[in-house]
Amino acid sequence: MFNKKFLKIDIYAMTWRSPIIVWQLLFFVGPVIFMIAMSFFLVKNYRMTEAFEFVNWSKMFSKNYFWDSYLYTVTIASISTVFAMTIAFPASFTLAFKTSEKLRRWAIFLLIIPFFTSYLVRTFSWFVILSENGVINALLGYIGFGPYVMLNTNFGTLVGYMTLTLPLVVILQTITMANIDRTLVEAAKNLGCKPFATIWRVIIPLSKTGLIVAAIFCFILSFGDFVAPFYLGGSQEPTLPILILDTTKSGQQWPRAAVVAIVMMITLFAVAFTGIALAYRKKAKK
Amino acid sequence: MSNSMKNIFKSPNRRNLLKMSGAAVLTTPFVSRAWAATTEINMLAWYGHGEPDIVAEFEAANNVKFVSKYYAGGDNMMALIAQSPPGTYDIILSDGEFVQQLNAAGYVEEMNAADYPFDDMLHEDFTKFPGHWSEGKLYSMMVRGGHLGVSYNKNAISAEEAQSYSCFWKPEIKGKLGHFDWHLPNLGMISLYNGNGSSLWNLDDAEWAAVQENTLSLRPQVGGYFDYGGTFNGLKNGEMLAMCGIGDWITGVLEKDGAPVGSVIPKEGGIQWTESYSIGKGTDKADIVKKFIQYMLSPVGQVKSAQMLAYPGFCITKAGRAALIEADPAEAKRSHQMDGMANEPISLINDGRIHYRDIPKQQSLEDWNDFWSEYKNA
Amino acid sequence: MNSNRILKIALTAYLGSIFLFVFAPIVFSVLFSFNSQRFPTIPLGSFSIEWYVKIFNDPDIWKAALNSLIVSSSTAVIATVLGFCTAYSDFRYNFRFKGPYIALILLPPTIPLIIMALAMLAWLSKLGMSGQLWSVVIAHSVLTAPFAMAIIRLRLNQMDPDLESASWNLGGSEWATMRYVIIPFCKPAIISGLFLAAAVSFDEFAVSWFVSGLNKTLPVIILEIVQGNIDPQVNAIGTFVFLTSMTLIILAQIFFVHRQIKSTNS
Repeated sequence: MFNKKFLKIDIYAMTWRSPIIVWQLLFFVGPVIFMIAMSFFLVKNYRMTEAFEFVNWSKMFSKNYFWDSYLYTVTIASISTVFAMTIAFPASFTLAFKTSEKLRRWAIFLLIIPFFTSYLVRTFSWFVILSENGVINALLGYIGFGPYVMLNTNFGTLVGYMTLTLPLVVILQTITMANIDRTLVEAAKNLGCKPFATIWRVIIPLSKTGLIVAAIFCFILSFGDFVAPFYLGGSQEPTLPILILDTTKSGQQWPRAAVVAIVMMITLFAVAFTGIALAYRKKAKK
Repeated sequence: MSNSMKNIFKSPNRRNLLKMSGAAVLTTPFVSRAWAATTEINMLAWYGHGEPDIVAEFEAANNVKFVSKYYAGGDNMMALIAQSPPGTYDIILSDGEFVQQLNAAGYVEEMNAADYPFDDMLHEDFTKFPGHWSEGKLYSMMVRGGHLGVSYNKNAISAEEAQSYSCFWKPEIKGKLGHFDWHLPNLGMISLYNGNGSSLWNLDDAEWAAVQENTLSLRPQVGGYFDYGGTFNGLKNGEMLAMCGIGDWITGVLEKDGAPVGSVIPKEGGIQWTESYSIGKGTDKADIVKKFIQYMLSPVGQVKSAQMLAYPGFCITKAGRAALIEADPAEAKRSHQMDGMANEPISLINDGRIHYRDIPKQQSLEDWNDFWSEYKNA
Repeated sequence: MNSNRILKIALTAYLGSIFLFVFAPIVFSVLFSFNSQRFPTIPLGSFSIEWYVKIFNDPDIWKAALNSLIVSSSTAVIATVLGFCTAYSDFRYNFRFKGPYIALILLPPTIPLIIMALAMLAWLSKLGMSGQLWSVVIAHSVLTAPFAMAIIRLRLNQMDPDLESASWNLGGSEWATMRYVIIPFCKPAIISGLFLAAAVSFDEFAVSWFVSGLNKTLPVIILEIVQGNIDPQVNAIGTFVFLTSMTLIILAQIFFVHRQIKSTNS
């Protein structure tokens, strides 16, 4: 009998597969392509006009401040990622292995709360905590230290990045580590593995995928954030997101801002793809 | 308590909870405010221009409601207008120098000069303000202004030192000088410091190079580049002891709040910012918009503008100033808006110590902005 | 003392300090919202509820709050639907171009918001769809779908892959299996996805500012105040939002998760 199923379009599969394609094509791919096109537009009389010129690209790439900003942004975002992952790890470890499931669930719920409060408002709170006449310096003053300048420095920027990324990183790390195969950890212990060695050689490799995903998210968030380096770092130095906004002050130079954005996008794509490849790479069988 | 109510409290199952929260929502002021059939006017402006302290009286008297979209800079504003269909915004408040851009791009309607009190201006310049007229036609109406100069913390810089921009280089404030994050007023001030006077915006190559050089020499003093919120916080918390690129519009608010800050016009000269109203192109409410602009230029409106909670500006009409002196002598005194006072705005203009903020003439906005980015990265 | 105990105490203290760091700004924000000073400094001023009075009397803020609720709940639904479809397709099927397919949903967060914002505004304007609340919903759903998808995908990972086939073998159609087996299994992930998408959308200000036109959401109001006025109204709004969302989360915890545990235990 002729196999009808071969010809029939699998409606079931298509139902699940198509929504995202349609939606993203319309509302994601469209704007992105438009943004790429925008980088070739010209600005005449403060109005963007459609064109196909390379002048925006050549101008941007010829500026020293662009490359300075680029290098600085990559550096500070990397530092932020390392900090966040390191600072979060002991906390996530505790939540994953040393607390009950119920407590862990509550802890994760608590950590979701910052997402519901305004990031901007939280950043502004730091002004009073970190300023030279602020809380921390006042406390340090009682024991005879300081005052230390914390705002408008790299330190301030990092504090801002931590505010943005720490909750997410802790959540992702905790979920990952809580879901690894406990029997393997047990086995390692039974075989006499010391605690730190267990962490380093058993737990982390088992959690590799989740940890790398957490790191990628952290890098992407820090890289694209405008608020922390601007308000807490005083634009010292300016990062690429700040540069995007600044460029638009050159009399509506959105095409040139698009150039910066595309460079940022390509960098982040590269980071994301490398990371995911690393995360999902299967170890070669010996 | 009825039985059903008791039940709600005993067993908070989902349905009852929804009932309770529904009741709570309905009692909020949002729903209880009577929505009469009012005309809505869409305003595009700096923060504060659509707030009750400015518009409430007019709204009540004319049965209108202002719906405001606030921007944080002329470039923001231009981007918004560019991407919105014509007629989205009925009234546009913009900085004086952006009016040229608005007009060049065709975003504003022509206005009838006879509708506005040009005969009552405090200074002749206000009657033919640069950029507001094009080919003899009026496109934007000046409403208020303010002066930019040396803004400083009185505990760190003395009044005499503040009489010159050179105080920014004072070694004691190293790392404590802030910049308002916009190239135009900052570079304008350095240009004045270099002695360019009234041609501060019109720099030839040598003068432009000199401005850049002096600006870069200021870099070690800089503690950060701030927007509105950051500027306020920096000055109030004492992180910054001096600010370049601002004036009384910020320190005035802080002064009223008790901070030891102030702004003066130094001997090299100061810059004037100006705000003007335009009628959005394609609006169908031109009449009521015109009425509002006239209201803001009337003595009542001028006093409101001077007392604006967001940031103060000075009156530009004689009748307005007189009304302010009568209604709020303390504020008139604080902002030097009385004849004969030192630093009285109009006499400063007459003395040639004030220069209207404008866009650079021989360089493009891009050139100045590019340098500003370089400066930040230095 | 047992070294294990010392370790546990140290770790707990560390965990506590992390929570302290995360919540300190929130606590301070709540403090400032009751502070009489317009520009908060140490030492604090006097206790005052004037900022709350100000925001409660401002119909624009109520409207914005309502807008935010509408936008975030709509976004949550759309994003979770999209996320579920994609996660399931990824889980069940292998097909050509699967890589780019997954990339399609996962890429939006890699694009800097400020440019995404302008590109969306320009694009939606071209389509005649900008300046409305649902313009924001569209933009936000694109931004939040990846999170929903990731969560649901992780959950599907935990499902025994044979479960589906078992259901078919027992005579269930694909649709019935979906309805009675897969969706219930994914329920906690779906709920988490909904909340996460709502949370991200609720606080998003860059794209909202550009795309929403005159229909402001709460983050847009906060941004405007911060950039133009800077007074503790933002702290009052922030505190209000914080209390509301905390209540929602606790309620969700009680009603959904608790019940599910109860029903599985019974």
